[in-house]
Amino acid sequence: MVSPGESDETPDSMVRVVARRLPGPSLMVAAALIAKGYAEVGDGFAAGVIVALAIALVYVALGGEAAEAALPLLRHAPKLAVGGLLLALASGFFPLALGEPPVSHRPAPGEHVVKIGVLELFTPLLFDIGVFLLVVGVLTILLHHLARPRGEARR
Amino acid sequence: MLMSVALLVPWVAGVLLVAFDGRRHVVAWLAVASLTATLVLVSVLAADVLGGGTQQLVTGGWPAGVGIVLRADALGVAFAWLSVLVLLAGAAHEAVRRVRSRTFPGLVVLLAAGLTGLFITADVFTFYVFFELAMTASYALSAYGGKRRQLRAALVFTAVNLLGSFIFLLSVAGAYRVTGTLAMDQIADRMVAVNPNASLLIAAGFFIAFSVKLGLFPFHFWLPTVYAGSRPAVAAILSGAVANIGAYGLLRFGAGVFPGQLEKTGVALAVLGAVSIVYGGVLAIGRGDTAEMLAYSAIGQVGYVLVALGVGGPVGLTAAVLYSVVNSLNKALLFLASGTRGLFIASAFAIGALSVAGVPPTAGFVGKLELFRTGVVAGSVALVVLLVVGSVLSLVYMFQVYQRAFWREGPVAAGAASPVAQRLLVAVLAVLVLAAGLWPEPLLALSARAVEALLVEGPG
Amino acid sequence: MILAFALVAAVLFGSGAYLLLKRDLIRMVAGIMLISQCAVVTLLASSLTRGQAAIAVRPGDQVSDPLPQALALTALVIGLATVAMLLALVHRAIVVFRTAEQDEIAATESEHEAKLEQERQADREEVEGSPEDEEEPETARDAGRSR
Repeated sequence: MVSPGESDETPDSMVRVVARRLPGPSLMVAAALIAKGYAEVGDGFAAGVIVALAIALVYVALGGEAAEAALPLLRHAPKLAVGGLLLALASGFFPLALGEPPVSHRPAPGEHVVKIGVLELFTPLLFDIGVFLLVVGVLTILLHHLARPRGEARR
Repeated sequence: MLMSVALLVPWVAGVLLVAFDGRRHVVAWLAVASLTATLVLVSVLAADVLGGGTQQLVTGGWPAGVGIVLRADALGVAFAWLSVLVLLAGAAHEAVRRVRSRTFPGLVVLLAAGLTGLFITADVFTFYVFFELAMTASYALSAYGGKRRQLRAALVFTAVNLLGSFIFLLSVAGAYRVTGTLAMDQIADRMVAVNPNASLLIAAGFFIAFSVKLGLFPFHFWLPTVYAGSRPAVAAILSGAVANIGAYGLLRFGAGVFPGQLEKTGVALAVLGAVSIVYGGVLAIGRGDTAEMLAYSAIGQVGYVLVALGVGGPVGLTAAVLYSVVNSLNKALLFLASGTRGLFIASAFAIGALSVAGVPPTAGFVGKLELFRTGVVAGSVALVVLLVVGSVLSLVYMFQVYQRAFWREGPVAAGAASPVAQRLLVAVLAVLVLAAGLWPEPLLALSARAVEALLVEGPG
Repeated sequence: MILAFALVAAVLFGSGAYLLLKRDLIRMVAGIMLISQCAVVTLLASSLTRGQAAIAVRPGDQVSDPLPQALALTALVIGLATVAMLLALVHRAIVVFRTAEQDEIAATESEHEAKLEQERQADREEVEGSPEDEEEPETARDAGRSR
């Protein structure tokens, strides 16, 4: 519940600078987590939580309105969440159209997979990206609600 | 195939609808349309299952045990059909008037996805996942209306049911620990060899988790605040659809996974059910507010399900299934009728009230008759007396409220009538309750088939 | 190992239950979070084994059971979603009721209810009121108060 007007509640400039710069690198870390998630520790959910933490710091440091002014993308969090969930659902249920049971994946086990480094391009990757978008979107919506000044909190 | 589509349709529709402003009429009616589509799909699935036997599907084409097993049997599709029907009624009821929040239509459809999923899964953990999908949607729904009453109702509902969910999760962990599997039929098979104390503890955990959902006597404390506080359509959805999780869970886990434990504790369950019936009935008498009376009545009504479950055996279980179905229809009808005004509504409410009391020719009579049969088969005089006392109590409290709400001449009774479509909806539900009472064979056959699936074909 | 897990789970559940009994809503949320973590720890403890990942196992390798790990992950995700939901609700409640104490919320609500009931009574005696009209003034007042 930090609002930009209240100077005694505003964190110092160091935090603000770090908060402003952090979302970029956090996206890199998230991408790395998703990419190596199929061989080592990491998945879409963990990646999403890391980006959401960076976004949380932005909200804490700048306050709700300023954060959304600085990163206009944050206003589209609901679309992100819905898009992510749809992507995840699509990657889970698309085999129905091919007459296979849900959560089958393409290329099927044993078939040739295109690789970029350790990253294998197959449909579960889309699922992970969907989960990542969903987690980032939902947590940002939550942050948006918690960061609103008191008076606006009612719909 | 059909199973996956029945799951996919409400899920995708729900996600899409949450994104749009539900206060627009189009969105609300789209929600009603997708619920109708789901109902049709579940009906076709039910017809397939009842005609051709249990259907099974393993995700990902993996062998069962690696992939998630979805299995639709008679018990599951019966509850899925019933729940989607109640959700459809609730959503249509709000759509006719004016939806008051952005997310309501989407959430109801998502709730349908969660409920359908949990009724057709054969795996304890997948059950938990769908259960939480349904519960999260209903937590958000219980705040619908956004006023103080609803907000407090939502807080109580969410906090208590979250605890119930975690107790369920602890029991899942326990079941996996002692049996090394999560498939319901394998758990049931291996539970026989497990240390009886451990299995009883795990069974008790599941029992508590489902009793909290259902609002059975020692776990009922949250129920009056929530049912009386939320809006009529939401109360109808919570008591007619979400509470089905509890009834289904008790049947599936009690009779399907833990039959030995159920037999051992049968008397205790029947006593708890009896206490629930008397407690709910006595407290419902003299409530001024219709919704509050219905809430206490709900505590009493689920007691019958537990009593029938406690008696057990094919007869008792059939009665339990039948009574859960009837009770869910009754509650949906009564809560929706309590939120509607105008011609026919008094008669619709009276039909619901008679059904709760178990007076012919309503569906409630069939339910009570089955319970009587259970009592006679069990040779228990106490049970028969309990049924009579319970019915008298419900007759008293129902007509007290009926008198107060509908027999009074003057401004309140004559207040602005609700839209015709809304009244028609309540009338349709009332006709359904009457029809089930006049022609009970399909319902009886369905309950018998459901119990057969539960006992003979094994749990799942 | 099992004993350590059991102790951790017990401490988590105990502290969670203790916090739940407090009258403060935020503590209640914290309590529920601790209990959710207790459930996750129990899931892990239910079948924790050391060994290789269960993909492409060579004969003779010790394999770790992948199931509790998958379960714990899923339970964490679901726990996050539900607790976030609860937190949002609590936030709304604090904004609307202007307090985080359960007793005070109950008190303000019953006060509010009594006032509403009086108004309803007046409605019944004088004018014809549709159910819609009964509810509108409340919304307006709530909005006014929270600003």
